[in-house]
Amino acid sequence: MEKETRLQRIIFHLRREWQIYAMLLPTIIWFIVFLYKPMYGLQIAFKDYSIFRGVAASPWVGLEHFEHLFSNDQFIRAVWNTIKISALNLVFGFPAPIILALMFNEILHATYKKTAQTIVYLPHFISSVIIAGIVITAFSPSVGIVNTVLGWFGIDSIYFLTKPEWFRPIFVGTGIWQEAGFGSIVFLAAIAGVNPSLYESAVVDGANRWQMMWRITIPSILPTILIMLIIRIGNIMEVSFELIILLYQPATYETADVVNTFVYRQGLQSGRYDFAAAAGLFNAVVAFVLVMVANTLSRRYSRTSLW
Amino acid sequence: MSSVKLSQLVKKYGNLEVVKAIDLEVQPHEFVVLVGPSGCGKSTTLRMIAGLEEITGGSVSIEERVVNRVAPKDRDVAMVFQNYALYPHLNVAENIAFGLRIRKTPKAEVTTMVAEVAEILGLTDYLHRRPAELSGGQRQRVAMGRAIVRHPKVFLFDEPLSNLDAKLRSQMRAEIKRLHKRLEVTSIYVTHDQVEAMTLADRIVVMNDGIIEQVGTPMDLFLNPANTFVAGFIGSPPMNQLPARVGGTAEAPTAEIADQLLPLPPLPELAERIGAQVTVGIRPEHANVHKQGTNPIKVELELVETLGSEALLHTTLAEKPFIIKTETEGYYDMLHDVSSFTVNTDQVKVFDADTGRVFGQGAA
Amino acid sequence: MMNWNLYSRGDKFFAIVVSILIGMFTVATLYPFIYIAAVSFSSGFAAQAGKVVLTPIDSTIEAYKYILVQPDFWISYRNTFIYTIGGTVMSLLFIIPGAYALSRPQLFGRRFFNLFIAFTMWFNAGIIPFYLNMRDLSLLDSMFGIILAFAVNAFNIILLRNFFEAIPQSFEEAARMDGANDFQVLWKVFIPLSKPAIATITLFCIVARWNGFFWAMVLLQSQEKIPLQVFLRHTLSNLSDDDEFAITQLEAAYSAETVTAAIIVCSIIPVLLVYPWIQKYFEKGILLGGVKE
Repeated sequence: MEKETRLQRIIFHLRREWQIYAMLLPTIIWFIVFLYKPMYGLQIAFKDYSIFRGVAASPWVGLEHFEHLFSNDQFIRAVWNTIKISALNLVFGFPAPIILALMFNEILHATYKKTAQTIVYLPHFISSVIIAGIVITAFSPSVGIVNTVLGWFGIDSIYFLTKPEWFRPIFVGTGIWQEAGFGSIVFLAAIAGVNPSLYESAVVDGANRWQMMWRITIPSILPTILIMLIIRIGNIMEVSFELIILLYQPATYETADVVNTFVYRQGLQSGRYDFAAAAGLFNAVVAFVLVMVANTLSRRYSRTSLW
Repeated sequence: MSSVKLSQLVKKYGNLEVVKAIDLEVQPHEFVVLVGPSGCGKSTTLRMIAGLEEITGGSVSIEERVVNRVAPKDRDVAMVFQNYALYPHLNVAENIAFGLRIRKTPKAEVTTMVAEVAEILGLTDYLHRRPAELSGGQRQRVAMGRAIVRHPKVFLFDEPLSNLDAKLRSQMRAEIKRLHKRLEVTSIYVTHDQVEAMTLADRIVVMNDGIIEQVGTPMDLFLNPANTFVAGFIGSPPMNQLPARVGGTAEAPTAEIADQLLPLPPLPELAERIGAQVTVGIRPEHANVHKQGTNPIKVELELVETLGSEALLHTTLAEKPFIIKTETEGYYDMLHDVSSFTVNTDQVKVFDADTGRVFGQGAA
Repeated sequence: MMNWNLYSRGDKFFAIVVSILIGMFTVATLYPFIYIAAVSFSSGFAAQAGKVVLTPIDSTIEAYKYILVQPDFWISYRNTFIYTIGGTVMSLLFIIPGAYALSRPQLFGRRFFNLFIAFTMWFNAGIIPFYLNMRDLSLLDSMFGIILAFAVNAFNIILLRNFFEAIPQSFEEAARMDGANDFQVLWKVFIPLSKPAIATITLFCIVARWNGFFWAMVLLQSQEKIPLQVFLRHTLSNLSDDDEFAITQLEAAYSAETVTAAIIVCSIIPVLLVYPWIQKYFEKGILLGGVKE
């Protein structure tokens, strides 16, 4: 048989497999139109963008927006707030689902365990608007249950959501309330994967439940903990800003304003698209670097990549 | 006219050549078994016939038509997969009918064809069960039913029995044999199990490392292995192979194994090789411990494995393991005292020590 | 292994303490919902006096009456159903064939396409370019725009692709030899075999659509197009400053808080109704999409 050319091979391949390309095409077009085209639009961060001229025709201004950005106190504050809120989330929000999973693992009563799990997973599925509505109602100075309870102890009403010093505790606490239960699923799955004979031999060796938790369960799920920690670090720039937009107000910007809310206000509310896009680009690049570092670390320490 | 013909068939993955220009012709109604160790290229060859792997070089023809560029569905072949590939969401009848449905066969026709196949395979009572509710043997039958129902020109089997336990395997082996007798469809069967190959095949193709080592009927391969690889692969236990030096004369050559002498058949090749190293092959079945012939070869007995009517004597000869297979009937008491055997000179095989090729089969 | 009768006294004590702690956390999770429900059924006066703790005070359904006669509430409720159903269907139309194609070893450039999709999980152009892009596409204030622009995400595609990849190759090969083309392999073999994964993704889509708020708020201007979450947000931020509302409120048995609570209850109920199904699948789903070797 004569040797075929590369072109013939490609034609034969396409004739035979055109259907999978047809299936892939809509998705690829979607990604180009809705995710990659905006990346092209990111160039307005280096341009004096005008709606009328459009992305391509607007004149270049180099790093002007970035110079303004880094001399803008509000932006610097937003970067710090992002980091501080993420750090609080890490310190308090990260261990919560692990502790919860370890505790669920100690419960013998199956129905009790199942019921509790069903309930603690629920808030994950509630929208941030409703979460905000609940928080606003519960912390309201007149109606709110929190102030009602404080009133029982003779403490005067506090208008929590206007106090900068209260914003972060409330925000982080809400996050734990909403996500700790759901987050425990991953760790419970890891615990379920521990070889039961390890516990059996520990029982024979006379270990109690507390010792088994520390000496068997925790070391066994350590790889999972590490991977989840790395993912968390990779996502430091991703604060759930939807909830912040719903909960903050000018009085609490001081502690509540993060990069994404800053972008939202500057861009969509004040129409400074190019300037806001520069802030967004800064955030995206930092986030990208963090994710890449996290993935490299994960690959090194667990020989699993995150995707 | 051949049913399936492979000419200079090549498969490469990058630079790795897994099938190296093999030629094979399968006659109509023939049952051919491709056998070899894992990684020898037998499954890849089968998958190229099926159209599941692209052909790197050479060609596959089915009934004189080159099918290199024909989609699997248009080759008119059916395949039974190792894991059966039964659809768990469909019942037995729907599984068997799947291919007919895809080809838009009229419903009434499908029903009769499925019923017919179910009858042949004894699945009539299980037509409404899901695969999960079937035993291993029944699943195997459904997988065959799915192939049979389409009345293909060729059946391809890819290690179809390897997921079954030993007892079921021999039962299904007989069933496949019976089915082939009844349907007479050309079949190509891949396995790594030489027992399956011996019992099922009209002709066996022994493959190793991407090439065909030998093609022949089961008895042909058993009695006249073309090389040391086939000798060591076919038969259970396989042929004993011993390094030896050729001595004696051209008319009466002998093999010098350590300090013992074994007469060799007077092969023309040996005449030229007096004093050279060769490999001597003796089937365990051909070593006779009961007959006192001339020139008994002394062995040291290490272990007796009794299998019932037969026994395996694990011995050493010139510090190499040597296995003897013998009947037990009437000899049982003396098996532990065996210290030598005799062998018919014409049953001794001699192989080239370097190439492994057998002597005495001409150019074959 | 875990047998209460074989527990030592210390172990029993430990288990009891843990059970109590879990109970407390569970109650703490549940309480805000109970509290909101109680507020929604209380009189505006009682709510504003901060009397509601666990059960409704001066039980009344006035707050519900107030919302349920608002046409905007019903419009937004209807819109949310449109976005949820339309959006989920749209998502599946993209994700299922896309994930199938990406899972096929014979796809040329498979590594590239997978990277092309996964890259968007790590790098995102951000809010402003996305918004301007929507404007350039004339998809501002468009219901179809909302349904289309949030139809696909890399995570769901990868999740389903992983599931498809785990299906033994022989299923596809057997179907192919039986004469099936790719569409038939997908429709008759892969989709039936992947019901749990597809159910998981469907639920993820439904929940995300039902809860989606930020972009609906940013992109939609017309009152008759907004979904429930945006309506709720308007109510949250406007009700207490709304003079007209303040006047009607004086004569009525409801307040901004009880009305807000009532809307919250109305929008949670559908989530609670599908929650048993969600729960059946998401535990599997979250692990499917998680760490892959």
